[in-house]
Amino acid sequence: MINFKIVTPERLVYENEIYQVSIPTTSGEITVLPSHIPMVSVLAVGELKIIDKDGEHPYAVAGGFLEIQDENKIVVLADKVERADTIDVERAQEARKRAEEEMIKAKAGEDVDFARLQALIDKEMNRIRVGNKYRKLK
Amino acid sequence: MAVSGKVIKTRIKSVSNTKKITKAMEMVSAAKMRKAVSAALDTRIYATIAWDLLINLSKTEKEGIPLLEIRQVKRMLVILITSNRGLCGSFNSNIIKKTAIQLKNPRNISFQRAHNKHTQPSEHVEIDVIGIGRKGADFCKKNGYNLIASFNSISDKPQLEDVLVATQIVIEDYKTKKYDKVVVAYTDYRSVVSQEAKIRQVLPISEFDLEKTISGLGKNENLLNRTLSKEPQEKISEYLFEPSKKEVLKTILPRLVEMQIYQSLLESSASEHSARMMAMKNAGDSASDMIKELNLTYNKTRQAGITQEIAEIAGGAATLG
Repeated sequence: MINFKIVTPERLVYENEIYQVSIPTTSGEITVLPSHIPMVSVLAVGELKIIDKDGEHPYAVAGGFLEIQDENKIVVLADKVERADTIDVERAQEARKRAEEEMIKAKAGEDVDFARLQALIDKEMNRIRVGNKYRKLK
Repeated sequence: MAVSGKVIKTRIKSVSNTKKITKAMEMVSAAKMRKAVSAALDTRIYATIAWDLLINLSKTEKEGIPLLEIRQVKRMLVILITSNRGLCGSFNSNIIKKTAIQLKNPRNISFQRAHNKHTQPSEHVEIDVIGIGRKGADFCKKNGYNLIASFNSISDKPQLEDVLVATQIVIEDYKTKKYDKVVVAYTDYRSVVSQEAKIRQVLPISEFDLEKTISGLGKNENLLNRTLSKEPQEKISEYLFEPSKKEVLKTILPRLVEMQIYQSLLESSASEHSARMMAMKNAGDSASDMIKELNLTYNKTRQAGITQEIAEIAGGAATLG
């Protein structure tokens, strides 16, 4: 068992004893099992999957970092976390559309916010993907 | 009979109406304050863990990481956190007074303190201000301080997104060396009755100031099972860093800046509501006192009026008889 926590600057999102967790990092997705060595890594935009005694819990995460500590403890410090089944896919799609429109405008004019917009689009895409994937399961 | 009973009666009515309003505002502020305090406590978990990580990483070379670089101060930035609305006692005036002292004497605040070396500021230090909350921005405009940005639309329940624009400005301008030091002026929430105006360094990231901010977050220690003063020295070599220490630091440092400013905002918000609650409570209490006094005067004049009437009747009867 691993003591697992997801924390955002606003609150503690999840805390439980779990069997394993798959985490998207900037250097690829990793799956952490018990007795992992201590590690610090940077979170990417993607899907985080927890497996505990109740089954699978998917989350959409967007950026942050994670720390694997001694004694089977993992802490994920995410900028944004959402449970897959609470994602409002329609709204995410709208948000993406808005971001893409802005992107077109930005391309025409100056390219100041290019990186930020791209990141925004990635985040919304991820929400849509994770949201859609688990909507059917319910 | 100096005042007529009717005038006093109207007075009593108006005072009790005021009392009703202050009572309602007190209750609203109490509810908001509770929310703000719990929000401030919730961020503490993140803050503590991020802080621990930074300690673990602090042994890495500090050169080349712009947010840790200590420079001689030529130009600095003050983030002034105040409230949008008034009627909150001395909340705004305290923080503004404290900031004004520093703005008048910029050399003192722009002194760089580090572990082993102190850096004197340059002869002439310029200060710019970012105002969060309308009152602070108004103050800067009135007194001719250089206000570069102001955020007036932050809600009663601040989200991290609310401060991201401000932190973006701060981080970018620090990296491009526009500013050599950034501080935040906020009101620290101690308890319902006591709040303290404080000024803390944000950039360059100072372990000393950050630790003070975090250790000041509430006194509820049972939540903090990971203490700040654990010995991270031996642990550092055991950590695996992916992709690299530098990359990790690059991600974590801006977060710490955001976190610190966000935390300051939450503290200020909690302080604002509790200050308003206390102000309204005091106003309600004095309204009660006033009503009591007015009632007494009213009864006295009524009594005096009756006595006089009786005396008149008796006098009239005596002349007739």
